[in-house]
Amino acid sequence: MSGERAMRDWYAPLEIYTLSSWLRAAFIVNLFLLSFDFLRGEGLVLSLLGILMLGLLVNTLPDGSASWRRDVSLLLSGGIIAIGVLSVLSEPIGFVLWMESWLIVPGAISLYWISSPHVSRWNREEMELDRIERGLARNNEYSSSYQRIGKHVILAHFAFIVLLPVLWIIDISLSPGNALGGSFADSFTTEHFSKILNGDQFWIWMTNSLIVSIGTTIAGLALAVPAAYAFSRYKFAGRDQAMFSFLLVQMFPGIIIIVPYFMVMKTLGLLNSHLGLILAYSVTALPLCVWMLKGFFDTVPRELEESALLDGCSRFEIFTRIILPLSLPAIAVTALFSFLAAWNEFLLALTFNTSNDMYTLPVGLASMISATGQSWGDFAAASLLVSLPVVILFVLFQKFLVEGLSAGGVKG
Amino acid sequence: MVSVRYEKVTKRYDDGTEAVKNLDLEVADGEFLVLLGPSGCGKSTTLRMLAGLEDISEGDIRIDNARINDLPPGARGLGMVFQSYALYPHMNIEENLSFGLKRMKGEEKIGVEEIKSRVDNMAKMLGLSEELTKRPKELSGGQRQRVALGRALIKRPKVLLMDEPLSNLDAELRHQMRGEIRRLHEELGCTTIYVTHDQIEAMTLADRIAILDKGELQQHCPPMEAYRNPANEFVEGFLVKHLNDIKETADSLFKD
Ligand SMILES: Nc1ncnc2c1ncn2[C@@H]1O[C@H](COP(=O)(O)OP(=O)(O)O)[C@@H](O)[C@H]1O
Ligand SMILES: [Mg+2]
Repeated sequence: MSGERAMRDWYAPLEIYTLSSWLRAAFIVNLFLLSFDFLRGEGLVLSLLGILMLGLLVNTLPDGSASWRRDVSLLLSGGIIAIGVLSVLSEPIGFVLWMESWLIVPGAISLYWISSPHVSRWNREEMELDRIERGLARNNEYSSSYQRIGKHVILAHFAFIVLLPVLWIIDISLSPGNALGGSFADSFTTEHFSKILNGDQFWIWMTNSLIVSIGTTIAGLALAVPAAYAFSRYKFAGRDQAMFSFLLVQMFPGIIIIVPYFMVMKTLGLLNSHLGLILAYSVTALPLCVWMLKGFFDTVPRELEESALLDGCSRFEIFTRIILPLSLPAIAVTALFSFLAAWNEFLLALTFNTSNDMYTLPVGLASMISATGQSWGDFAAASLLVSLPVVILFVLFQKFLVEGLSAGGVKG
Repeated sequence: MVSVRYEKVTKRYDDGTEAVKNLDLEVADGEFLVLLGPSGCGKSTTLRMLAGLEDISEGDIRIDNARINDLPPGARGLGMVFQSYALYPHMNIEENLSFGLKRMKGEEKIGVEEIKSRVDNMAKMLGLSEELTKRPKELSGGQRQRVALGRALIKRPKVLLMDEPLSNLDAELRHQMRGEIRRLHEELGCTTIYVTHDQIEAMTLADRIAILDKGELQQHCPPMEAYRNPANEFVEGFLVKHLNDIKETADSLFKD
């Protein structure tokens, strides 16, 4: 009866099967959450204890042979729930509730499933063969979908963790007063937004940022597209060296070039101007743009151009009628990249443009901190407004982005 | 009267490779010439020099006695079909077909009506009338190759050039397209140069074949004559022996 033995050894009820993978997931999530406790400086000991017990529980889950495992597991499950509840009681804030639910819920599920009569019968090796057979089939059928659900739950939490700072900023921007704390949506006001939107300064900075960013995008592309095409298609002396020297520039930290840049701009009389920033940004973004575009142009088959040549196109027509339309996704990605780089840049903008009405948004934002004391509400509202154009751009360019980043799909 | 003449043509690439050596070759008006030879023997180079896609290192190429060495590719009045189709992916089939017509200049300039009627005719001739609004990637391999053929023919080229046009197709389609290419040639009577490394393709399509090896012309004559009287050992091995092998294999397969 070795077949029967094998089935008994290999079989675990769906509950145990699923539980072990979910507990592992809970363990990982709790490890991440630990960093929040660490930041808050509270509840660290309790959380550590909870994680420890979770880890133990994963290893003492009933395996159908040693009956003591079930008792230990039940005990641990209870302990985990108790720790979770204790933490929540000590500090009943929404956020903590979310964190501790990662102890309470797995603990409760574990307690419930392990104490089910089905599992206990299996654990006492009192299960008949035909039930085991049915159980194995059930495991096969459900385990994959359970694991998928588990994956999504975990990913949703990680997404939430990533979004948390943003949510926090939104909360601050919508709360009255200028405090940093407070729980979510306990009170609501749009005063910060209307203050920012009705003030002149914000709009001046916004205009500056738009001019500089759009100017950078256009100037950068106008330089990068032809350069990348030449690098991709023509053989000329010093081509490889030129490509490499482009990379070389990228290897230095940006702060090194600030002083030389400043001297150049001062000589040219371009301090406190849009053009100065546009020039500096275009040049800084150029190497990466050229490399990205060259990589894309390389994937456009030469035979397409030869075909167009025989169709009577000039070199320039080939470029405008064949290469450009085919490269739109890649060009869109490059444009977005230049725009973002200019939109977010701080150091050069701070150094070059020192008069208040030439500030770009990042510099303006920074000036708000010192100028108006600790008005965190205004600050949060302003930073949300600054990110808005970027979000809109990303939504608009989404299709291109996916295409452009997985570029090269030009095959006939 | 469209004839093509290579006069002592040599191609030396930048790295010193001599891909074509001192080639003398003549293609008569309305003839279907197949350039045959093993891979790397210089067939494509020979064709691409005529098309203007490669410079000619030495010698002249003449179309109808006019030296075309220095004409830009678009001005030579040629149509070319590439192995990889090279259709414009961002245009639909109609735009692919009419792209070259719209680029014609000067005396050759063609009106909108004429372009439309030519596209319709070409599509009908190639069985593509239903596909005119589709993009290349929505078509099958055979259909794409047909579009490529149509795009080359629609300009009424003086000479039609094809570089291994069937190698990307499966055996069944290859057979079918072979018949179609020959049929089109008989219908249109266009001087054609066809590059292949496939002996069967050469034998079935050609009026004359030009066999190349290591950049040098080995034999230039009708296909059956090359089979019966191979000029040298290379032709004997590459063409005659290969065809006999195929015949023997087939015979032994069906003997019993
Ligand atoms: N762009 C090039 N640069 C250097 N050598 C080349 C180039 N193109 C082809 N060759 C060489 O020229 C020879 C003939 O090539 P090709 O005409 O493509 O042969 P085929 O089409 O008969 O296979 C080969 O040895 C090939 O390696
Ligand atoms: Mg070739």
